Amino acid sequence: MRTVNYFAKALLAACLVFVFCAAGSAQTLKLPPHEKIVLKNGLTLLVMEKHGVPIVSFSAIVKTGSAADPAGQDGLATITAGLLRKGTQKRTAQQFAGDLDFIGGSFDAGADTDYTTISAEFLTKDIDRGLDLFTDAVLHASFPQAEVDKLLAQSIDGVKASKDEAEAVLGTYYAGYLYGAHPYGRSGGGDELTLKRIQRDAIVKFYSANYVPSNTILAVAGEFNPAELKKKLEDAFGAWPAKSAPPVAIPVPSAAKGKRLLLVDKSDATQTYFEIGNVGVSATDPDRVAIRVVNTAFGGTFASILNTALRIDSGYTYGAQSFFQQQKVAGPFVIGSFTKNETTVPAIDLALKVLDDLHKNGLTQTQLDTAKKYIKGQFPPRIETSGQLAGRIASNEFYGLDDNEINQLEAKIDAVTLDSAKQIIAKHFPNENLVFVLIGKADEIRPAVKKYAATMDERKISEPGFWPPVK
Amino acid sequence: MRITKRLAVIGGFVCALGLATLASAQNEAQQFPVATKTLKNGMKVLVQSDHSIPNVALYIFYRIGSRNEHPGTTGLSHFFEHMMFNGAKKYGPGDLDKVMEANGGENNAYTTQNTTVYQDWFPRSALPLIFDIEADRIQYLQFDPKKIASEREVVASERRLRTDNDNGGLLDEQLWATAYIAHPYQWPVVGWMSDIEQWTMDDLKHHFEMGYAPNNATMVVVGDVTSDEIFQLCEKYIEPIPTHAPPPPVTTIEPEQLGERRLVVHKPAELPLLMIGYHVPKTNDPDFYALNILRTVLFQGESSRMYQRLVDKDQIALDVSAFVQPSFDPTLAIVVAQPKQGIDPAKCETAIYEELDKSKSALISDQELEKAKNIRLVEFYHEMRTINGRANTIGTYEVFFGDYTRLFDAAKNYSAVTKDDVQRVAKKYFGANNRTVATLIPDNEGKAKQ
Repeated sequence: MRTVNYFAKALLAACLVFVFCAAGSAQTLKLPPHEKIVLKNGLTLLVMEKHGVPIVSFSAIVKTGSAADPAGQDGLATITAGLLRKGTQKRTAQQFAGDLDFIGGSFDAGADTDYTTISAEFLTKDIDRGLDLFTDAVLHASFPQAEVDKLLAQSIDGVKASKDEAEAVLGTYYAGYLYGAHPYGRSGGGDELTLKRIQRDAIVKFYSANYVPSNTILAVAGEFNPAELKKKLEDAFGAWPAKSAPPVAIPVPSAAKGKRLLLVDKSDATQTYFEIGNVGVSATDPDRVAIRVVNTAFGGTFASILNTALRIDSGYTYGAQSFFQQQKVAGPFVIGSFTKNETTVPAIDLALKVLDDLHKNGLTQTQLDTAKKYIKGQFPPRIETSGQLAGRIASNEFYGLDDNEINQLEAKIDAVTLDSAKQIIAKHFPNENLVFVLIGKADEIRPAVKKYAATMDERKISEPGFWPPVK
Repeated sequence: MRITKRLAVIGGFVCALGLATLASAQNEAQQFPVATKTLKNGMKVLVQSDHSIPNVALYIFYRIGSRNEHPGTTGLSHFFEHMMFNGAKKYGPGDLDKVMEANGGENNAYTTQNTTVYQDWFPRSALPLIFDIEADRIQYLQFDPKKIASEREVVASERRLRTDNDNGGLLDEQLWATAYIAHPYQWPVVGWMSDIEQWTMDDLKHHFEMGYAPNNATMVVVGDVTSDEIFQLCEKYIEPIPTHAPPPPVTTIEPEQLGERRLVVHKPAELPLLMIGYHVPKTNDPDFYALNILRTVLFQGESSRMYQRLVDKDQIALDVSAFVQPSFDPTLAIVVAQPKQGIDPAKCETAIYEELDKSKSALISDQELEKAKNIRLVEFYHEMRTINGRANTIGTYEVFFGDYTRLFDAAKNYSAVTKDDVQRVAKKYFGANNRTVATLIPDNEGKAKQ
């Protein structure tokens, strides 16, 4: 669409957020000070003053995400979050929208695999009204049946609409094919079949079990008087009844063995979209900083090894990148790109060759130095706004990472050497064992892509669900 | 040489609205003056110091886009944007990105119907390097046939990504091609595929000479810098670049549309799609503010009239939105609705027209007007909260309104909008004769082709 600018060099910023979550600028980079308060009911509050514009940002984490969805009801955590604003004890959905929009506020809630996030922003002058809206939704959602039905119907159509865009659903097929029955293999937003099974009762049960103070972290950052704000927060959340939430146990996934390939047929595609990789590392892996440095050089920037090969030198694609999505337990490692139907094989061959070369040759000193400098140089704008800061301190708290995650990063980045990079490559970058997921015009590419894996599966994009096929 | 230092402050916008004055008074850091200077070669430079992070956002806006193209060479501006990363004299092919990243910087660019915009984001330590790179490529771009051939493929891939394999992109392209019959806004920014495949070296060189004059560009620098150091860097690196003639003016005026136009796209798809384009004035027009208020009331937020009607009450659409992009010439306001499965897009169309008619037959409420103004204020803060957002916004006002200080009048101009103004623009621009309706109908068996 016209609002989307024709970027020369977009490298899928959304993915890169995961890649570059850690770095430090030479002299100045430090997380601004913030205070942690645990209320009697178990709610963890994080408060950070941040000046610049008169905005207050809320970022709450409920420590239960889509990985806790009951089998066959994929999407439950997402739907629950989506309904928070759709009717409360004192507001209808329409009233909530009216009150929120009137003050120009924002309110977004959604579920990741590991946790649910609820973020909101208001002007400082509207803090009381904003806090009232925020607590109303998080503490007093009422889940009217009509709104449940509406959101479920919309979400089912939303899944279908997303399948009209291969890029939008590639990651969901990839996670499903890589992780199989493991909770990380599910579609967080559900699919055409699982959403149909979700009942209001299950939503209410999920909400009352998990949206409890001891299972919640609330970070607030922005322009305010901290003493006054803390008082307001304690007043607003202090009476939230204490209750313990059921623990979420996510088993450690094992890496895929051998090679397998899923071909998703999209009959009108003129381009093949592919992801290749295996199970990666967790957000708390001791090697995480070194992994980021190596991946930045390999596939994390425009001039990276991967993009140089697939775009700059060959013109096969508009973009190629790699990333480790770091989650509570090992998230996926992904090499991703797209190319016209005719060059599907040469492009994938080349991606595999550069991965192979990485294992054989490691990085050069220049590549390593560049990656270090790049991460450090690009880090400050990632913690520039109150919204970014609130989100970051909340997720750090969730993963049990302290301020040194940022404050000592420069030192950790500097400690990576060519030798340690070599070890990181051998240990964390897959080579022999690979999972491939391709979305494209099957009739044109099927015969040629068989060579990549002994096992090849296929389905049509229009078939309900992602992977595995529903019986 | 002309140097002006203005103490126009971002906070001025806030005070003018009579809102949040307390907050802005508390906050000295928010008051960032913009310093300006016009170089001898005609390039205007705007600088805003902000030392809150040790980084810099540098934008260069060239006033050349797809409106300066012609049939046969559509997409050249965008292709050029790509070529500007592919090597000049001092920094050869591939060097620009490597050197920039090795110094902690990164870059991007975008092309529209009106402009080509280059963006650099970097730690302040890379400041002289960035100027060296920018000066090199403005003057000495290389035209290596091998590089051009490979970049052609990259652009074709980008077109497949954003247009050919994207229902929204595809329908949008068809909509502009139908709504405009004379003016260059009728062809896509990325270019028709056959043009992408066939530009010649001469076409490229001519385009470069035409568009990339310093006097056709505006530079905006925001971040951990002083205006003096930027002006000194400009004198050293940018000022020696000779001036030359800018692109010839675009003289074609799109004739008034005399009746509704309709088009249908049949292709395999899960869901249909609907877009409706209305001709509206260029950005720098007095009706800009009232149109924006109308758009906010109708389309922005879940309390908006269109969301309430189509998504919430009738439940015939998954979402409905409207947008207008900055433009030098009269452009389109485009309404997009994603019908639910099994819903005839015509049903969404009818509901949209009914809501538009209500905004013509009766005034919006006081509450709606105030809400819209509040939303515009918050959006302003969102743009102002990062060095990147400020560089883009200051540049956009300078280029499209002709003067960045208009940014500081925006509050006053929105404040002045009345309910009658909103009704007037609804009547003036949103009639049946002035619209083009584009519908994508799923055709999964290829029946329409037979």
